[in-house]
Amino acid sequence: MRKDAETSGRHGMSHKNETIWSWVFMLPTMIFLGLTALLPLLYSVYLSFFQYKINLPNAVPVFNGLGNYIRMFTDKNLAASTKNTIIFALISVALELFVGIIVAMVFCSDKMWARLCMSILMIPMIMAPVAIGTLWRMMLDGTTGVINYLLGFLGIPGISWLSNPKFAMPAVMLVNVWQLVPWVTIIVAAGLKALPTECLEAAKVDGAKNIQIFWNLILPMISPLLIIVAMLRFVDAFKVFDTVYTMTNGGPGNATEMLPNYIYKQGLKFFDAGYTAALAIMFVIVMTLITALFLKFRKYVEGKVS
Amino acid sequence: MKKRRKQGKDRSVIDDVIGNFAGKPFRIVVIILTMAAILFPIYWLVTSSFKIKADYLSNPPILFPKRFTLDSYKEIFSKDGLLRNFTNSLVVAAVSTVISLVFGSMAAYATARGRFHKKIRAAFGIWFMVQKMYPAIATAIPIYLVMRNLHLIDTLSALIIMNTSFNIPLVIWLMMGFFEQVPIEMEESAEIDGCTFIQKFFKVVFPVTKPGLVAAGILAFVGAWNEFLFAVILTINKSKTLPVIISGFITDKGLSWGPMAATSVITLVPVLIIVWLAQKQFVQGLAMGAVKG
Repeated sequence: MRKDAETSGRHGMSHKNETIWSWVFMLPTMIFLGLTALLPLLYSVYLSFFQYKINLPNAVPVFNGLGNYIRMFTDKNLAASTKNTIIFALISVALELFVGIIVAMVFCSDKMWARLCMSILMIPMIMAPVAIGTLWRMMLDGTTGVINYLLGFLGIPGISWLSNPKFAMPAVMLVNVWQLVPWVTIIVAAGLKALPTECLEAAKVDGAKNIQIFWNLILPMISPLLIIVAMLRFVDAFKVFDTVYTMTNGGPGNATEMLPNYIYKQGLKFFDAGYTAALAIMFVIVMTLITALFLKFRKYVEGKVS
Repeated sequence: MKKRRKQGKDRSVIDDVIGNFAGKPFRIVVIILTMAAILFPIYWLVTSSFKIKADYLSNPPILFPKRFTLDSYKEIFSKDGLLRNFTNSLVVAAVSTVISLVFGSMAAYATARGRFHKKIRAAFGIWFMVQKMYPAIATAIPIYLVMRNLHLIDTLSALIIMNTSFNIPLVIWLMMGFFEQVPIEMEESAEIDGCTFIQKFFKVVFPVTKPGLVAAGILAFVGAWNEFLFAVILTINKSKTLPVIISGFITDKGLSWGPMAATSVITLVPVLIIVWLAQKQFVQGLAMGAVKG
């Protein structure tokens, strides 16, 4: 960071200029984000105190006080989708980390084959999530799906993945794992590449086994990175929408209903703008709290490292 | 630079220590399983797009099709006019990427190296962080209502505006990392040479952060190309982007797996080419984004 005070006396004029230019550089972003993100958010806060059906052409917002917020406490579907979201986030992120670390480890090489594999590994990550959802929906189809066909070779009878409440959630998690293990792998692989090589070599020369080096050296050294990855993924998992929307749309029943999809439905299926806004605000508050906690914890982790 | 070269020499030992951490057989098994898990769905997608109708609807499914056809591709382009949606996606992604790169890198430079009071700088940092993290769904309804009042529903402008709004924080966050890596001495010597703030930005800092700009640009482009939530809310017909078309196969067309797969392939190929061409920068951008934000 820059030492502002130290030199400000000598170049007072040019510094004043710099301050002005700094604001000028900031201005387009401030205006743009102000209009497209902050204002809508404030509008959401406003709407959350009203009852407003947006599908009726001449509807006007009617003041509803805290009604929309109170309604949340008795909304059983909301409780279910909150629970689903938390379960989904915890399990899929845990799986992604577990698999991602192993994959990053075994692909750690500078050779041609490793680079080629990494290129392939990137496909799920850059594929449109909507396309991932529809693709897996096709493959997981209960009667014509190829996954059941392949499982048949192993003697496993056909499962109606997406229409059986018991299997729908694992299926959605599986797809999330498929989509995001590559991301975890790439970040962890970058972390592995940056490890101090001397340390690992010294351990090797001392006769340590690779697996011991992993547990005693590598894992502790990359654990701050792993914590960051886990948290980023966790916050992101709460926002899962595209794949759920295309695979199950929350069904069967509300077995895979998650918060973003639920909020979407309230707004664009039931056209209840007031309640949607209230839900959205609560969601933002919770996400901000999680993010703040994450930042605090991260500072703590980074403080411990350096 | 020298350090990196030395590391490169030592890598083979390190690759063994890390790669074979649980033994060589384990490594080979995991590599094969991973590649199979990634590639099989892709194989299924691509082959489905070239299967004839009887084959993609067949039960049991056909693992190794013998008859190939371009019918699905012909159908989506001639009957459904996918070219229009492709162009929509391209325009939205390209324009929003350019705008967010310009605005975002300016703001990032100001935040990283501009002359602000400490607290203001910190406030900006937190704002962009929160902006990057908060769920898009939170503003969906207000945005929909505002766009409706402005008669911007089903226009590309609406999509460009929203994607730019998502991408600016991403660009800022990445570029701040890259700008902070530029040695302060470089800028100071430019200052002594009489460079103004703008000159410093364009002549000194910009050239050395080009890889960062490429990374941020790719991430922004891919994000906008794949964006679905606002695309589905704000479009009705003529402005639909590719992801909206793909989701449409489920909601209103039932089991057209062939055309659906073909549309997905068409959607995947352009971004795949871009990412593969600039893989190094893409990975660098991802890693930077994670470690920083």
